[in-house]
Amino acid sequence: MISFIDFLNILLPFLYVITFGIYSYDFMKGRKELANYKRLFLFITLLFHAIYLITRTLYFGHPPITNVFEIFAVLAFAIAFSYFVLELVTDIRGTGPFIIIISILFQVISSIEIEHIVAVKDVLKSNLLGIHVFSALVGYSGITISAVYGFLYLMLYKEIKLNQFGLIFNRMPNLEILEKLSFSSAIIGFALLTIAIIIGIIWLPQAFPDFSYADPKLIGTSIVWILYGIGITAKLLGKWRGKKVVILSIVGFVIAILSTMLTNFLSLSFHSFY
Amino acid sequence: MNLLAVSINHHTAPVELREALYLGSEDVKNLVSEAKGKLFSEGLVICTCNRTEFYGIPVDKNTSYFDVQNFVIDKKSSHKISPEHFQSFMSREAVKHLFKVISGIDSLLIGDNQIFKQVKDSFIVAEEMSFTGFLMKRVFDSATIVGKRAITETEISEGAVTVSYAAVQLIEKIFSTLNKKSALVIGTGETGEIAAKHLRDRGIGRLALTNRSFDKAEKLAADLNTAVFPFANFKEHLHKFDIIISATSAPDLILTKDDIKKAMKKRNGASMVLMDIAIPRDIDPETKNIDYVFYHDIDSLNIIVEQNLSKRKSEIPKVEKIIEEELDNFFNWYNSLQAAPTIKNLRDYFETIRAEEVDKNKNKFSDDDREKLEIVTKRIINKILHHPTIELRKSAESGENTPESATRLGILRELFGIDNHKPDEEKK
Repeated sequence: MISFIDFLNILLPFLYVITFGIYSYDFMKGRKELANYKRLFLFITLLFHAIYLITRTLYFGHPPITNVFEIFAVLAFAIAFSYFVLELVTDIRGTGPFIIIISILFQVISSIEIEHIVAVKDVLKSNLLGIHVFSALVGYSGITISAVYGFLYLMLYKEIKLNQFGLIFNRMPNLEILEKLSFSSAIIGFALLTIAIIIGIIWLPQAFPDFSYADPKLIGTSIVWILYGIGITAKLLGKWRGKKVVILSIVGFVIAILSTMLTNFLSLSFHSFY
Repeated sequence: MNLLAVSINHHTAPVELREALYLGSEDVKNLVSEAKGKLFSEGLVICTCNRTEFYGIPVDKNTSYFDVQNFVIDKKSSHKISPEHFQSFMSREAVKHLFKVISGIDSLLIGDNQIFKQVKDSFIVAEEMSFTGFLMKRVFDSATIVGKRAITETEISEGAVTVSYAAVQLIEKIFSTLNKKSALVIGTGETGEIAAKHLRDRGIGRLALTNRSFDKAEKLAADLNTAVFPFANFKEHLHKFDIIISATSAPDLILTKDDIKKAMKKRNGASMVLMDIAIPRDIDPETKNIDYVFYHDIDSLNIIVEQNLSKRKSEIPKVEKIIEEELDNFFNWYNSLQAAPTIKNLRDYFETIRAEEVDKNKNKFSDDDREKLEIVTKRIINKILHHPTIELRKSAESGENTPESATRLGILRELFGIDNHKPDEEKK
């Protein structure tokens, strides 16, 4: 089984790259006949990814959330899966390459660095941890997708303002829809991050003796949470709109990525598990 | 095939002549009644603002496209029409021309999809006038397939290619649903009127008009069932509109950057689209520097039009490929109307049925009887087909493929479903 897991681990980045290639080719050429094939290919990639995560969980006896590279594999899946659902629900097909490329980044790093860990700390076998990590991951997927749609909103806004009617103008849905997609994803991200933070604050001090409120990840996530909170409230109150909200969403995403990198790669925190 | 086509179109004749030749539906009907029997046994007359075309099966061998040209020249003798203004096509080229017309690649505005409906309407008129026979119906069916395939399989009709449609396309890249938006059209001249009608057609939620001459605005407002503001104080209402289209003939600016800034403040920064389609311009171009104000003039709309036109041009080879495929299909069918292939197909068809039935029932017979069964059933089939075969051979021997014999063969094939029923495939 281990060789099958290894095989899938190597296969997944290739599948994502091929899916990205089909989506990008369709984006450039706008070929109608590729519209359904690309969706099918994304589905196949997600299927293999799901099989990989399940077999990994069964073989190692714990869900793949015990170190940052396992988490990256889940995050890559969560982002691509969220996009797949979004594409099915909205039938907006032009934005795929911009989101799938983020899944590629996470999956490639994961595939290169992931190790076979059978024994994990007892604390990582808790159910509360499962909920904490699951909600945090879906929350991060939400803010990632929100940031991508925010970025596309800014690109389209600029093209229309400057009379540059290029590929973005031709392939993207309209500004209102991009803003709405970015905002809805931000709300989902914010809600799930709220759950992750609440569970974290209740459970982490009990589980980790070295728990600290000065933990960089906790501070980073709190800043992200506050930023999104401000943006969402201002938007709902009708004070802010368009560019301001999406810029906030992009800034929130960048801070989230930076805090994750700082926490995990510089090993400054109890949040680093490897 | 002896289909004839004669056309006066934007490639061959100046606009004045095309205008002079334009035929209303009554004119077309009169022309059809005159041409029927005199020039064509069956046919089709297509008349749009850019083309007047005649298609038909000549009544006899001696009728040529010169006769059709002369027929038109006689009808419109007061205009200076000469043979150089005509394009003429025969047989495959005539069918190909109709296919090119219906697919929009021969149109002045490439990919114009109105032509599809216009050809369809022309055919309905021909049918009403009993001018369509077996062959023209099949030509029209094939043309319809070409038109539909061109629209669904290529992007020949995609994108806006007029300034007013480009304006709508642009607005739809900013707002998602026009039925929740409001628009103000300043100026109710021809351009303003077209813009207002476009917006109404696209389902704009609320539409209002204003014009220096209030009466004119009121008249159009009554036609379109919209509100109308006096020109003197329309600026007080600017903030109520998501879309403002200006198309006046005023020599100076009507809306300044300040006007728009004030309106945006009242709108709390909600996006506003300004379409200045007037020459000289009505709205200060500096307004484009205000956040969430999308200012566009004729030049920027023309960029979209040019892009879409060049995209459509690049689709022409794909449409030509479809045309060639459908031409082959059409002529495969037409050639099957020759007597010899039809005799063979008819015999094959009957033989298949006979063989299948014998095969199904052979177990009910003894070995000796099976041989007799073969002989008897073959004899029955031969007797049934004897007379039709003799009649069809007469056609083949005459060496002529007249419309009458083509019709007879076509009906025979249709009755027995020979074109849909492939005996060889069934055997597999």
